[in-house]
Amino acid sequence: MRLKSQLPSHKAIVKNDQTSHCLPRPIPPTFERNERPPMRKTVRLTWLSLWLFATGVVSFTTISLAADLPSADAPIEQVIDQFINERLETEKVTPAPQADDLNLLRRLSLDLAGRIPTSAEAQAFAANTSPTKRVELVDRLLASPDFPLHQRNELDRLLLAHKPNDGEFRKYLLWATQQNRPWDAMFRDMLIGSEADENQKGALTFVKSRARELDDLTNDTASLFFGVNVSCAKCHDHPLAQDWKQDHFYGMTSFFSRTYLTKKNLLAEKQVGEVKFSTKKEGQKQAAFLFLTGATISEPMVERTKEQLKEFDEVVKKQTQEDNAPPPEKPSFSPREKLVEVALRAEDNRFFARNCVNRIWAQFFSRGIVDPVDQMHSANPPTHPELLDWLTRDLVAHNYDMKRLIRGIALSQTYSRSSEWTSGEQPSAAIYAVVKVKPLTPRQYALSLHMAAYNPTQWPAADQPDKWAQRREQLENTANGWSNMFEVPGEGFQVAIDEALLFTNNKRIEDEFLRDSGDRLVGYLKTLSDNSALIDAAFWSVNSRPPRDEERAALNDYLQKHSTDRLVAIRQIVWALLTSPELRVCF
Amino acid sequence: MNPGSFFCGSADHGVNRRGFLSAAALGTAGTFAADMTQLDLLRHSAWADDVKKKEKRVILLWLAGGASQFETWDPKPGRPTGGPFRAIQTASSGVQISELMPKMAARMQTTAIIRSLNTKNGDHGGGSSLMETGRRKDPGIDYPDLGALCAKELGRIDSAVPDYVSLYSSTEGRRKGTSGFLGARYAPMFLSENMVPENVRRLETISDIDHQDRAALRDLLAKRFAQNRTSDVIGSHTNAYQRVRGLMASEKLFDIEQEPEAMRAKYGPTQFGQQCLIARRLVEAGVPFVKVARAWWDSHGQNFETHRELCADLDHSMAVLLDDLKDRGLLEHTLVLTFGEFGRTPQINPSLGRDHFASAWSASLSGCGVKGGACYGKTDPDGHTVAEGEASAGDLFATILTALGIDPHKEYTLGARPVPLSDFGSKPIKEVLA
Amino acid sequence: MTTSDPTKLKMTKEFGLPTIAFCVARVPNSGRLIFGSSDFKLYEFDALAEKPQPVAFNGEGHQSYVTGVVLCAPNIAVSGSYDGKLIWWDLEKREPIRTVSAHELWIRRLAVSPDGKTIASVSDDMQCKLWNAETGEMLRQFSDHKPMTPHDFPSMLYAVTFSPDGKFVATGDKVGHVAIWETNSGAKVATVEAPTLYTWDPRQRRHSIGGIRSLAFSPDSKLLAVGGTGQIGNIDHLEASARTEIFDWQAGQRVKEIVNDKFKGLVEHHVFDPSGQWIVSSGGDNGGFVSFHNVETGKTLHQDKAPMHVHQFALNEACDTLFAVGHHKIAIFEFKAEAAKPAEAAPATSTN
Repeated sequence: MRLKSQLPSHKAIVKNDQTSHCLPRPIPPTFERNERPPMRKTVRLTWLSLWLFATGVVSFTTISLAADLPSADAPIEQVIDQFINERLETEKVTPAPQADDLNLLRRLSLDLAGRIPTSAEAQAFAANTSPTKRVELVDRLLASPDFPLHQRNELDRLLLAHKPNDGEFRKYLLWATQQNRPWDAMFRDMLIGSEADENQKGALTFVKSRARELDDLTNDTASLFFGVNVSCAKCHDHPLAQDWKQDHFYGMTSFFSRTYLTKKNLLAEKQVGEVKFSTKKEGQKQAAFLFLTGATISEPMVERTKEQLKEFDEVVKKQTQEDNAPPPEKPSFSPREKLVEVALRAEDNRFFARNCVNRIWAQFFSRGIVDPVDQMHSANPPTHPELLDWLTRDLVAHNYDMKRLIRGIALSQTYSRSSEWTSGEQPSAAIYAVVKVKPLTPRQYALSLHMAAYNPTQWPAADQPDKWAQRREQLENTANGWSNMFEVPGEGFQVAIDEALLFTNNKRIEDEFLRDSGDRLVGYLKTLSDNSALIDAAFWSVNSRPPRDEERAALNDYLQKHSTDRLVAIRQIVWALLTSPELRVCF
Repeated sequence: MNPGSFFCGSADHGVNRRGFLSAAALGTAGTFAADMTQLDLLRHSAWADDVKKKEKRVILLWLAGGASQFETWDPKPGRPTGGPFRAIQTASSGVQISELMPKMAARMQTTAIIRSLNTKNGDHGGGSSLMETGRRKDPGIDYPDLGALCAKELGRIDSAVPDYVSLYSSTEGRRKGTSGFLGARYAPMFLSENMVPENVRRLETISDIDHQDRAALRDLLAKRFAQNRTSDVIGSHTNAYQRVRGLMASEKLFDIEQEPEAMRAKYGPTQFGQQCLIARRLVEAGVPFVKVARAWWDSHGQNFETHRELCADLDHSMAVLLDDLKDRGLLEHTLVLTFGEFGRTPQINPSLGRDHFASAWSASLSGCGVKGGACYGKTDPDGHTVAEGEASAGDLFATILTALGIDPHKEYTLGARPVPLSDFGSKPIKEVLA
Repeated sequence: MTTSDPTKLKMTKEFGLPTIAFCVARVPNSGRLIFGSSDFKLYEFDALAEKPQPVAFNGEGHQSYVTGVVLCAPNIAVSGSYDGKLIWWDLEKREPIRTVSAHELWIRRLAVSPDGKTIASVSDDMQCKLWNAETGEMLRQFSDHKPMTPHDFPSMLYAVTFSPDGKFVATGDKVGHVAIWETNSGAKVATVEAPTLYTWDPRQRRHSIGGIRSLAFSPDSKLLAVGGTGQIGNIDHLEASARTEIFDWQAGQRVKEIVNDKFKGLVEHHVFDPSGQWIVSSGGDNGGFVSFHNVETGKTLHQDKAPMHVHQFALNEACDTLFAVGHHKIAIFEFKAEAAKPAEAAPATSTN
C-alpha cells in the first residue's frame, strides 16, 4: 500500500463568494513542484505562445512556424512518441512495455472497429509473422465498414450526448464518416447545413436539439467545437482564466440568439435581435458578435421602420405557430453563418483546430493533451504543448482529416503500451507511461457481448468482405436496443450495481447470450467433447486469446465438478467469461 | 497516481476511494475490509468519524405536486388566505400547525419546521429539479440529487443493501431521481408499479448453488484480469458483482408481509403508509437514503378537499413512521424530511384551489440532527412573502447535510470545476439543528 | 300561474365581494340576502337596494368558513360553519342568540323544513342532525355514510335537503351515496347511489375529487335530483361536465342523467321549479353557470355563464329571479316571462 501520496491533505475550501463556483480548481501538478522538469526554451516559447493566443495577439500561423517543432513531414506516430518519450525521460520514468499482439489487436478492434475481434481474426493475427502486421491491421480496420460505424457512434456520443437517439443525425454522421468528411465541413453542416440537402439535413439536429435552450446551444457549441466551456463566464468574468469575460459568453450567445425552430421543426433565424446582459462594472450591455479569439463581426447597419420590425415579429409568430407556413426565408445577415466563417478562417481557427486534435486524442487516451478537454485557456496548459501544436498544424495542413490523425495515434508506441503496471506506484496518466483502462461505451459493449456469445464458426470468412459488411450492419442494429441498458460513461465512471444485477438475474441476458442454439457460443461449445478444446474456444471467442494455465485449470475444474449436466456447466463458464471485467473494458 | 481524475479532493473521500481502488487492484472480496483496517490504523480518528457518519439515514417524504403550507406547517387561520381549517397547538409551545395534522402536532418535539423557503421556481419540472438537487440547472453540469449525494456520502462501498431507493407509485409527475455526474453507481433503485426491485430474484432456470459457483468462477477470472491494472472502472465492476448476493437478499426488505400484522395495521392501509413501512425496513437494514414520493398534491381545484385526504394520509403515516423509528432507536440516526417542488398560493381560486407558489413555503425535518420543536422563519400575516429568515433550496440542503454530519461546503471536482455539496452561498439553518 | 321563462335568462346585477360567499338565504318578499362568508362572518345584503352594501352581523360569531344559512322564523337565521357550530341570530339586531356545538367536524350545509320548525345539518363527522329551530335542541341524528372512502381516506358529507312536504330528509356524501330519511322518525327509507359523481384516481394522482354537492326534491317529493360533477380525468381541476342525476328515489331508479353540454365543474345547488317541469342548477369550476333543464327530457332549456363560481342561490317567490352568491361576487339573474311584473311586486307564493 502506498498511502502517503494517496491521501492528499486537502482541506475543503469554504467559499461563499458568488463568483467562486466557477473557479477552476488548480490543475493538480503532475509531479510535486520540486520535481518539475526545468523548462526548456521551446517549452517557454510555447507557453508564451499560448498566452499570445489567448490574448489574440498572435495568430495561429505565427505559432505553427515555430522553429523548434519537428518537421511537418515526419510521420504522426513518430512525432507523438518523440514528445511523449522526451517527457518520460525528463520525468525519469520507464514506461510500461508494449502490449502483446493479441492485447493490441483487441484494443485496436475496439478503438477502430467498435467491437472485439472474432476468434478467427485473433488467431490469424497471432499466427501472422509479418513485421508490418500492425500497420496492415490498422489500415485494414480503418478501411473496414466497421470504422465509419464506430466513428459515427463516437461522434454521436460526443455531439448529442444527453439528447435522445436521433436517427437523422446518426444517418448524417454515418454518411460523413463513410467518406471521411473533413471536420470543418462537418462543423459547417451541423451549424448551417441545408435542409434541402438530403445528406446534410440530419446534421442540423445538432442545433435543432438545442434550439430551445440558448444557453445549452451556446455552451455546447463552444465546448464541443472550440474546447472552451464559457458557461462560467455567464454571470461574471471568469475569475481565474483571464481569457474569458462575460463579453465572450454573450458574444457566443449572440451568434445563436436569433436561431429558432419553426412549427415544422425547420431551423430558422430572425432578421433582428440583440443580446443584452448585465455586468457588475458597467451595468447593462449589448453583446457584440464576439468570437473567442477576440475577433468581432459587425452587422451591416440597416435602418428598420417600426412596421418592418412588426412584420418580422409576425413572420416569427407565423413560423412558430402555423403548420403550413412557407419555408423560412434566410435573413440578410446570418449570425450562425458568421460564426462558422470566423471560427474557420486562418487567423481565428486555432480553437477549432486544437479542439479537434484534443478531442480525438482524448477518444483514444481517455484524457486530452489539454485536460479537461473543455478547459482550453491559459490557466490550464497542455501537458505536451509542442505536440499539440504540431498535431494541430498537421491537421490544418491536411484539411482536417481526422482519419489521418487517428491512424497516427493508432500506430504510435504511446498507444500500444501495456495497461499493466508492475513496478510500484503507477505514474500520472498525464505522462502516458502506461495505457489507461477505458470502460466500453454502451454500443461497444453491446456489440462485443453479441460477438463474444456468437458461434465463432459462423462468422463470414476473412475473404468475404461483403458478407461481413452485411453482418456488421445487423450487429449494429442489434446493439442499438441493448446499448440503452448500459450507462454512457462520463468522468469518473463506475459500473452500477444495476448492471451486475441485470447480468446476474435477467432473463433477457440468459435468452440472448447463453442460449443453447446453433448460432450461439454455448451451442457450439456443447458440440466439443474435449474440455481443453472447449475452454480454448470459449477464451478465443470472448477474450480473443488462449487461456492462461491457471484459467484453463479453473475452467476444467469447473466442468468436471459440474459434469452431471454439461450444458448447464457450459452456460455457467460462458456467463463467467462474459461478465468478467475483461469484456467490460478496453485495456 | 493522479488525484486529478477523482471528483473530490477531500480527505475522507480519499479514504473511501483509495480503499476501493486498492481492493479493486487486489481484486478479492475479503481484501476490502482488510484494507479498511489498514486505513483505520493510519487515520484512526478520521475513520472513526466516518463510521459514525455512516450510521446516518434519510427518509425523504416527497410531497409531489406541491403540498400547501397553509394546510400543513404554516396555517393562517382567520386570514383571507387562510382557508377553513383551524390551527392547533402542537407539543412545542408557541408552534401551531394545521388541524389537518393532529398526529404530527402531538409529535412536534421530534420535528422542526422551516417556514421561510423562497425557491422562486413555480414550475413542476424546474421546481422539482431545484428541490431535488438543491440548485438551479447549469448548462453543462448534470447535478446529482439529494439521494445520490447521501448515497455517496453515507453509503458503504461494499454495502449489501442498496444505497438509494426511490419509490414513486403514482404516475403523475413521476421522477426517478438522478445521480447526475456521480454516475449510475449512485443512481436510485427505482420502484414504481410494484414493490419488487428489478433483477434481484434468481431465475428459476439456475439453482442457487450454481448461481454461487458461477459467481465464484467469475470472481476468479476477474481477479486475474485486475492484477496490475489500477482502474476505477475495474474496481467498480468488481464491487458491483460483489454486492449482487447481498442485494438479492435485500428483496425481502420490500415485502411488508414480513412484518407482524400489528405493525402493518399501525401503518394502515394506504399505499403511502405501506411505503413508509418499507422505508423503515430499508433504513433499519442500513439503506442510507429512501425517498417515498406521495403524489399528487397539485390542488388547483378543491384544495381543501384534496388536503383533507392527503394530509390525513401524510399525518398518519409520518406520525407512525416517527414513532416506529423512535421505538427502534433509529430516529436519532434517521432524518425524516417532508417537502416537494414548491408550496401553494395564498390566493384561493374560484375552484377553491390553490395554485403553484414558491415564494414562501415550508419544509419539515425530523429526527437525526434536528432540534425538535423548532420553528424557523416567518411568512407575512397572509403568507404572501417571507417576512423573516428567507431560505433558499441551497440553504435547506446545507441544513439537511449538516444535520447528517456532512460538511455542506465539501466540494467535488468536476473537470476543473469545484462543485460543493450544497450550492455556493448556501448556509445551514442553525436554528433547526440540534 | 308562473311568471318565469327560463329562455329569458339574463344577469341583471353583479356585485363584487372581498370574500367568498358560500351560502345564502333570502328574507321572504324582499331582496334582503343573508349570506355566509369565507371571513367567518354572516352578512346581510339588500340586493335590490340602490347601492347595496354587505353589512356584517355582530357579536361572537363563527371561527371558520360559514357554509350554511337558513331562515326559520320571521326574524331568525341559523348559520353553520366549519367550526362545527350552529348559531341562531336575531336578524334585526344582527346579533347571535344562541350557539350550539353541533358537530365534531366541519358543517357543510344546512337545510330547513318547509314549516320552518326543523333544521338539518350535515358535517364531515358524517352525521345528519335535526334541530328544533325554536329551542336549538337536537331532535335526532342519523347517518348512513361511512367515515372513510373505499380507498381509506376520510369521507365527507356535503349535502342535505328536505322534501317540499317536509316528510323526508335526504343526505348525500362524497362517494355518491344518498340516504333518504323520514323526518319524524329518523328511519332510513331509501338509498340511491350516484357513484359517477365521485372520482377516485387510483394511479395517476392517487386521491379523489367530486362528491354529491346538491340535493333537491321535486315539488311532489317523488323525484330527487343529485348534483355534482362527472368522472374527472385530471383531478387537479374541476374539468368534468357539471352533472345532475334525477332519481325516482322510492323506486330506487335513476330516471334522468343531465350532463351539462356547455359548462364544467360542480353543480353546487339546484332547485325544481314549482310546476316540476324544469330544474335550475348553478355552480362552476373557475367560472360559473346558471342552467335550466327540462326534467322530463333532460334537455337544456337555457343556460348562461355566471360571473363567478356559484356556491348557492335563492329564488324569489315568483321563481323568476335568482340571487346567486359565490366566489367574490353576488349576482342577480332574472328570467321573467314577457308580461311579468317586477320581482318585489310579485304575489307572495312560497316556493320553498
